[in-house]
Amino acid sequence: MNDYPSGERKKQCSDESKCFELLESILDGDLKDSGKEILKEKLAKCQPCFEHYHLEQAIRDVLKTKCTKHAVPTELADCIRQKIQDIK
Amino acid sequence: MSEVQRRKYSQEEKNAIFDGEFMPHIDSMYNFGYRLTFDEDDAKDLVQDTYLKAYRFINSFEQGTNAKAWLFRILKNSFINEYRKKSKQPTKVDYQEVETYYNSDDVHYQSTSDLRAESVKDMLGDEISNALNSLAVDFRTVIILCDLEGFTYEEMAKILDIPIGTVRSRLHRARNLLKEKLQGYAHNMGYNTDEEEE
Repeated sequence: MNDYPSGERKKQCSDESKCFELLESILDGDLKDSGKEILKEKLAKCQPCFEHYHLEQAIRDVLKTKCTKHAVPTELADCIRQKIQDIK
Repeated sequence: MSEVQRRKYSQEEKNAIFDGEFMPHIDSMYNFGYRLTFDEDDAKDLVQDTYLKAYRFINSFEQGTNAKAWLFRILKNSFINEYRKKSKQPTKVDYQEVETYYNSDDVHYQSTSDLRAESVKDMLGDEISNALNSLAVDFRTVIILCDLEGFTYEEMAKILDIPIGTVRSRLHRARNLLKEKLQGYAHNMGYNTDEEEE
């Protein structure tokens, strides 16, 4: 995605709202194959789209990888199985 | 449960579904419960309650469909119907009120912050978690379902019983709120600003 120096992209997006909505849908996996071509073009030609896409992507990445995970208490699964046994 | 009872499973089939399709999601379920309640015991109760309901209504689960989404929907409903009612803590935001105001599906997407991707990548896990946890529960929920658990818009719509357009707009708004929080952290850390010191 960094093949295009920022100087070659337009500085203003003529349809920011629509573009950003589309970019966010692509990032969320809502547009699969058709999204790739649109994305390539937007990112190559438009600086606001390029920046928005990378910010949104970074946010999704850190949420996915950095959010604190809590270990399941060891007794929970056994406790559930026991209660299921009781109602069987 | 609103699902239509499709068929009756044998005891062996029930056990196989429960062990093979339901129990593997206990980790995600517990983390969802914890992120909704911020309390270990409440999270345990929610998960336990969800699994007991899942077992009781197992005949309404269609094999081959998404068990994780089905379980998440039960947990979310338990949280709304039981936990929130029991909880005496004042709710921060009544989402229904907020929703009619902010959540028309016709959201205008725009750049709302000057937060930079580089600043976000440098943030610590605690900062990300705290920012997420500070959001009102309905905004927090869509981010958890989408970004942490990887559900599609369609699955989220089913889990939350809302139209896909509302999922999309609520997510967009939730992420904008998250960005505002992260921008506050970035500013304090000296990113994105010429001022080196406060």
